[in-house]
Formats: sequence, C-alpha cells, structure tokens
Amino acid sequence: MMAILSLMLRAVVVLCGAAIATFSLLWHAPGDPALAIAMARHGTIVSETVVSVVREQAGLNVGFWSALQDWAGPLLVGDFGHSSVTGRPVLPDLLNAMGHTIPLALLGLAIGLAIAISLAMLATRRPGGGVDRCAVAVASLGAAIPVYWLGLLLILVFAVQLSWLPAMGARTPLHLLLPALTLGLGVAAALMRIIRSGILEARAQAFLPALARRGVTARAIASDHIALHAAIPVVTVLGLELAFLLEGAVMVEVIFARPGLGSFLVDAIAARDFPKVQAVVLLAALLFVTINLLIDLIYRLIDPRIGARSA
Amino acid sequence: MVLAVFGPWLAPHDPSAINIPQRLSAPGGAWLLGTDALGRDILSRLLHGARWSLGLAFLVSVIGLCIGTVVGLLAALGGKTLDWLVMRITDTFLAFPELLAAVVIAGLMGAGTTSLIFALSVTGWMRYCRVARGIGLTLQSRGYVIQARLAGLSPLALARWHYLPALLPSLAVVWTGMFARAILGISALGFLGFGVQPPLPEWGTMLLDARIHLRSTPLQMVWPGLAVVACVLAINLVGDMLRDALAQEERS
Amino acid sequence: MLSVDQVTVKRGRVRALDDISLRLPAGQTLAVVGESGAGKSTLIAAVLGLIGLANGRISWDGAPVAHCRPALVMQEPRAAFNPRLSIRQTVLEPVVAARQPLPADRLDYLCDRLELSTELLARRPHEISIGQAQRAGILRALLNAPPLVLFDEPLSALDAVTQKHTAQLIADLQAEHGFAALIVTHDLGYAAAYSEQIAVLRAGRIAELAVTARFVRAPASDYGRTLRAAAVALGALDDSA
Repeated sequence: MMAILSLMLRAVVVLCGAAIATFSLLWHAPGDPALAIAMARHGTIVSETVVSVVREQAGLNVGFWSALQDWAGPLLVGDFGHSSVTGRPVLPDLLNAMGHTIPLALLGLAIGLAIAISLAMLATRRPGGGVDRCAVAVASLGAAIPVYWLGLLLILVFAVQLSWLPAMGARTPLHLLLPALTLGLGVAAALMRIIRSGILEARAQAFLPALARRGVTARAIASDHIALHAAIPVVTVLGLELAFLLEGAVMVEVIFARPGLGSFLVDAIAARDFPKVQAVVLLAALLFVTINLLIDLIYRLIDPRIGARSA
Repeated sequence: MVLAVFGPWLAPHDPSAINIPQRLSAPGGAWLLGTDALGRDILSRLLHGARWSLGLAFLVSVIGLCIGTVVGLLAALGGKTLDWLVMRITDTFLAFPELLAAVVIAGLMGAGTTSLIFALSVTGWMRYCRVARGIGLTLQSRGYVIQARLAGLSPLALARWHYLPALLPSLAVVWTGMFARAILGISALGFLGFGVQPPLPEWGTMLLDARIHLRSTPLQMVWPGLAVVACVLAINLVGDMLRDALAQEERS
Repeated sequence: MLSVDQVTVKRGRVRALDDISLRLPAGQTLAVVGESGAGKSTLIAAVLGLIGLANGRISWDGAPVAHCRPALVMQEPRAAFNPRLSIRQTVLEPVVAARQPLPADRLDYLCDRLELSTELLARRPHEISIGQAQRAGILRALLNAPPLVLFDEPLSALDAVTQKHTAQLIADLQAEHGFAALIVTHDLGYAAAYSEQIAVLRAGRIAELAVTARFVRAPASDYGRTLRAAAVALGALDDSA
C-alpha cells in the first residue's frame, strides 16, 4: 500500500516537473511570440505598436514566474487557455484532434498486437526452426523501418499502384485503414520479439512438467500459465510502445494528411501558437505518466515478487 | 560507416549540381538511381547524405552518452538527496515521448542543424543515465569500491578508475540502440521539415522532397528510406552481438 | 585509542547494534566474536563511518575515526581488488589518494615480509591465489602505516594451512608496526590466540566483554560459555588453557 502511494506521489511530482519544464521551454524559445501572433493576425508587415498591443493582450509582458502562475492556475481545473493566434479556447480543438488520434492509435495497437501475437505463436511452435528464424528476421527488419517511410510505401502500393484504399484525409472510416496498418506494423515489429521470448521463457519454467504430470491438459497450460507468464514482459514494454504509438501517430497523421494531434502539433509549432503546443506536450506527458503508473500497478498484480523486491 | 567517410569521393556526380532537363529521370544510364526534381543525381546525394545522417546521429548519440553518464554517476556517487533529485529530473524528461519532444524543441528553435542536434541530445540522454546509475549503485557495495573510498580516493578518481571501466560495456550496448534511434530521429525531423535544411542532402529531407513526386516517380522515395533501414539494421545487429557477447562474459 | 560509546545502529526497525561501548588502546588487539547476523560486520561499517549511527559516538583519540585513515582487510580477498586493474594499481591507491610519497623501501619491505613478488603485483585478481590476494590486501592496508586496521573475518576464505600462516603474519606485522587491530571473527580459537580483549556480540548487543585470558579460562556469560564449549568440541580451542 505504501509502495503504491509513493508511486502515485512520484507520478505527481514528475507531472509538476513536466509542466514547469514545458512552460520554461516555450518561454525561453527563441523568437518573439508576440511578433508571430501579430503577423498571423495582421499580415507580414506589422508596426512595433501593433506588436506591443498584442504582447499586452496575450499576457506576454510579465515575468517568468507570474506568467507560469497565470498559466498553471487555470490548468489545474482543465483550462488550457486560448490559442494565441485565433483567440479560441484550446481545449475543444484539442479534444477534437484527440477524437481523430485515439481511434487511430487504438486500431494501430490492436493490429500490432494481433500480428505480433500470431507471428510469435507461429514462431515458437518450433523454436530455432525456419519459420522462427524468418519471423525474427522480419521483426528485426521491421524495427529498422521508419514509420513514415513505411507509410509512404503502403501509400505507394495500396493507394497509387493498386488503388484499393484511399490514402489522404479522413473522410470515411476506410481512410483509417492504411494509417492504422502503418502504425500496427511498426508496433508489431517491436512486440513480436518480446512476446516470442516471453513465451519461450514461460515454457522453460520449472513448474510446467509438474503440471503436465498432474494431468493438466496442454491447452489449459498454454492458456493459463504460459499466457500469463508471457504477459509480464509485454506489459512492461507496453509503456514504451505507448511512446512509439504517440510518436508514430504524429508522423502517420502528417503523411496521410489526417486531422489529429499530429497535425495539431505541427501546425501549432509552425504558427508559434504556444498555448496549443503547451497543451499537446502536456497532454502527452499526462497520458504517458498515467499509463506508466497503471502499468506499474498492473505489474505488481501479475507478479507479486516485484512489489516485494522494490519495497 | 565506411560509406559515410568515403561516400563523397565515390559519388559519380556533384550532389548539388542542378540539371533541369534531366529532372526526375528513371534509374539507369549516367544516373544509376535516377535524378530528383531538380535533376540532381540521387546516388550522389545519398552518399553525401550519409555524412549528414550518420555523422549527426553519431554526434547526437555521443553527446547523449556523455550527458547521461555524467548525470547517472552524479546520482550514484552523490548521496541520497542528490540521487532523488537527479532521478526525478530524469523521470520528468522521460515523461515526454522522446521524438515528440524533439519535434517540439527543434520546431520552436527554428529549423536547422544546431537545433536538431540540441533537440535530439536533450531528449536522448536518459537511458544512459538510468543504466549508469543502476550499475553505479550496485558497484557501491563492491569490496574494491569500499576500499577505494576508505583510501580517500576523490570522487573523480573513483569514477575514472572504478566506475567508468565497469560501465563501459553496458553503455556501449545502450549506445548502439541510441545511435540507431538517432538516425531514425534525424530523418524523421528532416521529413517533418524541422531538421537539416533542404539544399543539404540529408536522407529525411530527401524523402520529404520525394514525397511530392510520389505518383510520377515512386522510386525516388525508395532509396533514402532503404539507406536508413540498412544503417539502422546494421547498427541493431552490432548491438545485438555486443549484448550477447556481454551476457556471455558475465556468465563466465 | 578507539572509543565506541553507546552506539546504536538501526537497519529499518531492527537494531543491528544496540548500545555498544568498546575501548581499543593503540597497538592492541580486540577480537569481536559472535554468530552470523550478530552485528559484527555492522560494527566494522560503523567504525569506518560507512553507515550512519542512530545514537552514540565513535572516535580515535577524540577525533572522528576517518581522520586517522583506518584500513580494512576484507573477508573476500579477491573482491577487494578491481578485476580490471592490476594488483599493484589497487594496492597503491591509498598512497595515490594520500598524496604523500611513500618511504622509498616500504613497498619492497612489506612485499618481502608478505611473500609477494614484484611479478605477482603485475597480475589481475583472478590470476593469483586467494591466500596471495589476502596478503596483498594486508599489504594495501598497511602501506600507509595506519594506526588502526580493521579485519573482517580475515581468515575465513582461506584453507587451514594458509589460515595459520596468515594469522601469524598479521600478528608479527602488528608487533613490528604497532597498529591497533579490531578483528571480527567467528573463530574463537583465532580470537583466543591473538587478542588482548574479546567482545562477544549477540543480536546487536554485547553479551560479554573480557580480557582474553580470563574469557578463555571461564566466560562470565551463558552465551560465552556456549561459544567456548562449541569451540572446544570442534578442537579450535584447547580446554586446558
């Protein structure tokens, strides 16, 4: 119990640190945000007076700490502030973008897991055999392929050459398929090797022959014991996979010209729309830290030894 | 590696020589892999690009190695309070997905090589730090480290003689992984337009160029991607071999 | 003189050392005996300042022990040497750290006394025998002529013949150089033969503290008697003493 509390406390500390880091990064970024905003609103040639008026309006003329307070206070109640370019609140736009990204990430993860698990099971039927070696080689290759290049290749094959699937935009659910496949292949490559060694390790566990002797069927052993054991390393890397999923989703959205967090972020950076950038970065950190915390907790449930060791 | 060093001399054409009449030509003839939208020879650009892509990745991963090792040793050697502080700072950096953070930093600093190096170094030291600290903490209870402390060896000498040599093999394994990630990161940033800037032949930037002509000359985008994959694959293989060798040594 | 005054060390909620007081005059030997887990190694760590005290004070001639640069001889001889460095490099570490030049012949002299050849010093820890490693450990400890040397089970990793030889070497060198020795051991026979005082440690407390000759004749505590009887039964201690 104490261990769980201290884990949560640590997560909170890290999130606070992340918020301050995000803010100070943007605060110290080179270039004058007021000028950028003024140019976005009034065209490329703006007078110094316009810039200073904008600076006043956007609250950019105060010191670092008071600006941090002005920003962090509303943040605690979920208010991400207003876009410095359009003046609209950030949150609705952000939620809208997430509405596009989350299905993509989940479908990508599902595809990735499905491919990785079936490939790993196929490979571990005869460890060291031809199928196994092929699967491992494919996975190594997959881990070396940049997501965006994979996306381009898929577009080339399925959209340009074969014209089976739509590539650009997000008009129909069918538009989701190629981006999710891109993401899923990337995830699968990373997971396959881990699941494979997880299964092999679980099989090598000493208690399995004992179970077999007690008359537990092979199928029951596979589903109850091996699966649980193989799940432990997978749960661990799932945290890392999440990072990949987020990064991958950003790249994939850019390639496929889909609306979503990726385009939201890239556009915000280009426009130097700091409140928007801050919101995305912080959201990513929040997601990342929360899910890693959950993984830590799940981990303790699956494998009680972990809690005992680190306590 | 070899290509990165000698590539420029092997290149059959000037990578920046613009030849509009020959633009987007197919592979074969004088242009082994064809030409791009400005009629520049793709093979030459690939070979020159190796310098940018691999060289920068090498630089970035070594900077990360230095920062991470120093910070990790600081945590391991500096006592409990410093350790707690350093590890929470590391956790904070780890709270952001690395590439995403790099995109934001590079994007805000303005596109260019310097901000690219900065962005990838700042987001790429935490793994080294964790490994260095982890091993450092286990070393603390080793007899020879206790002896060295008793003898009054300075922390610097302690790090130099007892910690660094013990850390090196594991850090080398981490380094190969980070080198590969840096190659992917640099080309990703290049592809997003936040990295090395267009006239320079960097692989990610070349992909960005090629993307526009996806329909007319699809082969143009295959080559830079293949180059990235080949390098990352080779480095990962070396990393796997290093790790296996290390595991073997530890068993004996 | 080493003074340990009412020292308590806590490991979690357990008192690894509980209200320990000891005196070790310069040049003398104090043996600390007791079973595993009695707190012997904790006592060494406390004297060396490697762990914090919950209560009490440890000093050498009124100053913190670290000021006299005490040396330690460890139970696992090879572990005391960095596997990546030569024996010579590790042995000379205290000299390098102290930044005081060594008297010209001191290394040669000690090597000679400890039967260590120059060629041996160039080797790595895994290339020498355990007995040699322990003698190298003693060499390292004595090089800077510390007034206080702590021995943590110095003989337990060695075989019987080497044990006897090494014990005698330590005693001879102590007679020559006059350092105070705090020897932690579970071997009552060794403690009886080479110490002026014996402290019996049990569950973090001192069960008995006595002059060695008296303890060997007739321990005052029940636990002391149990230990003595066990040592006699094993032949480590002569009953007629």
